[in-house]
Amino acid sequence: MPTASTSFFGWVAFLLQKYGTLFLRGTGMTLLIALTGTVLGFLIGLLVAIVRTIAMPRSRDPRRQSRAERVSLAVRRTLLRAVQILMNVYIQVFRGTPMIVQAVVIYYGAQYAGIYMDTTFAAIFIISINTGAYMAEIIRGGIVSVDKGQFEAAHAIGMTHWQTMTTVVLPQAIRNILPSVGNEFIVNIKDSSVLNVISVSELFFQAKSAAGAYYRYFEVYFIIACIYLVLTLSVSRILAWVERKMDGPDNYVIHGSQSDSRAEIVVSVENEKEATKSWKA
Amino acid sequence: MEGVIEIRGLHKAFGSHEVLRGVDFTANEGEATCIIGSSGSGKSTLLRCINLLETPDAGQILYHGEDILSGHVNMAQYHARVGMVFQQFNLFGNMDVLGNCVAGQMKVLHRSREESEENARKYLRKVGMEAYVSAKPRQLSGGQKQRVAIARALAMDPEVILFDEPTSALDPEMVGEVLLVMQDLAREGMTMLVVTHEMGFARAVASKVVFMDQGVICEQGSPAQVLEHPETERLRAFLQSRF
Ligand SMILES: Nc1ncnc2c1ncn2[C@@H]1O[C@H](COP(=O)(O)OP(=O)(O)OP(=O)(O)O)[C@@H](O)[C@H]1O
Ligand SMILES: [Mg+2]
Repeated sequence: MPTASTSFFGWVAFLLQKYGTLFLRGTGMTLLIALTGTVLGFLIGLLVAIVRTIAMPRSRDPRRQSRAERVSLAVRRTLLRAVQILMNVYIQVFRGTPMIVQAVVIYYGAQYAGIYMDTTFAAIFIISINTGAYMAEIIRGGIVSVDKGQFEAAHAIGMTHWQTMTTVVLPQAIRNILPSVGNEFIVNIKDSSVLNVISVSELFFQAKSAAGAYYRYFEVYFIIACIYLVLTLSVSRILAWVERKMDGPDNYVIHGSQSDSRAEIVVSVENEKEATKSWKA
Repeated sequence: MEGVIEIRGLHKAFGSHEVLRGVDFTANEGEATCIIGSSGSGKSTLLRCINLLETPDAGQILYHGEDILSGHVNMAQYHARVGMVFQQFNLFGNMDVLGNCVAGQMKVLHRSREESEENARKYLRKVGMEAYVSAKPRQLSGGQKQRVAIARALAMDPEVILFDEPTSALDPEMVGEVLLVMQDLAREGMTMLVVTHEMGFARAVASKVVFMDQGVICEQGSPAQVLEHPETERLRAFLQSRF
């Protein structure tokens, strides 16, 4: 047991020894809810973003429409509009209020309705829907960043909206927004600390109880500050590496039958000259 | 001669701007039809209406005599039968060259991967891009991209291909390689509708030349007729501005 005259580092060493496993468990919980929340939030955002890009169903030719077609069109339009409005409300509400407030409102609100949530479940639930609201906007930006010509090319070969999205647009949109998605993960590692208000056993909550035991607030919070920093720095390094891996090289080297492909190129260049000559003439 | 695509009284406006004001013409089977006309005359809009990238306001688009606007034609099937090549290539950036030519066959025509790849390679060989099967679009030159885009359209085994200024975004030295591929296609009897500013190409390859002006077809006929003996003042002025 350190005495009152023990140095700062003496206390840090002591607290690490005594509460090391506690901090580790807290770190594990923080990573768990941040990662699960980011992944689930991403899926929510993806769904919302896709629905928000569906074009209003249009009539092909109003003059030749039957009554049934007109009614079904009206129903589909109203439904889509209603869903899109709901999604806008969701995004506005969750981006427009602090997560700490969302946490207490949802957690105690559920109790009010007679539902007593497990704190870990509540934590993941809250982070997921909070992240979903941000992801929806991020992913929509990613979709918009894919040039319109590719949508048209996909439609022109007969793909449906869903096929176009899943095979052409989203893979590129997701690559483009990967830095923002990684950033959301890092934000979640840090901001999950606010969930201590509903007693989720994440890193900050564990630190609070450790700090109270010996009244060593600065030492304990200094330790977890270091842990948070190590976590966020490592994650951003890993993500940068993944992005580099995904991009691959900028140049293409022809492999396979070298002589053949050379021959082909030479032929095509000659043809081209000839062709250009004849068309210019 | 049978009309594969027949346009009747096609109208299209963007807001109050009437871009197509009653277009009538027929694309015959096995013929290359070149559409010429000054910028803003509605050439792209016409092709985009035929491909339903735009919804026409009035008129008919008949495909083998059936109105595709009536709702009785299967759209995915129609799109598979009518290919399109764009000015800006519009290759799928997340796929390599082979993937670009395979995706539509598998998703829309439900062909097996082996069959799709074999077919894709056949057409990539045809456009001289076989050596680049695993290249990404951003690794290719403009002319190479456009040749892949043509192979992508061909891989769907379409009956008609629409070309919207396929060489306008290319550096001059790459125009030839693309026109050459298109010329081959025309000679083999592919039905083609080509919006182009390459008068030399139109003269050498087209069976019919259509001159559009201000949303209507002003003159049409054989290349010799339209390009050498223009009847209207507007076409004469347009041709003069080109040479
Ligand atoms: N989506 C759109 N919304 C509004 N106006 C449009 C749209 N698409 C085309 N237009 C207008 O319609 C007119 C005809 O356009 P279109 O692209 O068909 O011309 P074009 O003959 O292909 O010309 P260019 O040779 O320049 O390609 C232009 O004035 C253009 O501004
Ligand atoms: Mg155009």
